[in-house]
Amino acid sequence: MTEDMIICRCEEVTYKELAETANKYNCSARELKLRTRAGMGYCGGRTCRNMVDKLAADLTDERQTQITLKYQPPIRPIHFGDLGGGQS
Amino acid sequence: MTQRIVDHPILGSIEEKEQVSFTFNEKEYYGMNGEPIAAALLANGVRTLRHHEEKATPRGIYCNIGHCFECRVTVDGKQGVRSCLTPLQEGMVIESGGTLPTPVKDWSAKNE
Repeated sequence: MTEDMIICRCEEVTYKELAETANKYNCSARELKLRTRAGMGYCGGRTCRNMVDKLAADLTDERQTQITLKYQPPIRPIHFGDLGGGQS
Repeated sequence: MTQRIVDHPILGSIEEKEQVSFTFNEKEYYGMNGEPIAAALLANGVRTLRHHEEKATPRGIYCNIGHCFECRVTVDGKQGVRSCLTPLQEGMVIESGGTLPTPVKDWSAKNE
C-alpha cells in the first residue's frame, strides 16, 4: 500500500491523508469521512466505502463501537432539474 | 474499429450492426448502433472520457458496470450520463466534463 495510492477516486483522497488523519484524531469511519471527504464524492462512497471503514477500524483502537458509513441520500446522483426544475 | 474484439473465444463473434456517427468534444466518430458509448469511444482509441472537477486528472472507464460514475459524460445536453451503460444512437452529441471554477477543498484541514 503505497502512500500516494488514491483511496477515494471521486475526491482524490490518498491513503497517506487518510492514515494521517486517522492517527492524528483517532477517528471513526464517519469522522474520517467528514475530515477528509473520502466517501463524499459523486459516486456516493460506492468505490471507497469499504476501504474507509476498514482503515478507520484498523488504524484506531477499538474502544468505540465501529459504526460503518451510512448511505446518504440521494443514493444516486440526481440533477436538480429532475427534482422539479424550471419548466418554463 | 481496429482494436475491437470481433471474434471472442468464449462470447463468440459479434454480428456487425449498422454504423452510426456521433460527436465527442466536437470530433466525429463512428460506432456500432446500440453499443455502450464508452465502448464506441474505446474502439476509436479514446480512453479519456472526462477530467476531474478539481485537479483535471484524466478519467475514463473504471468499473464499466454503471457503479462508479467515472465514465459520466454529457449526452445531448443531459449531464451525468454513464457512458458505460448508455447505448449509442445516431447523431449523439457527447461532451466531456472538465474542471469546475471553485475548488471544494479550500475549507479543509488548514481552515481548522
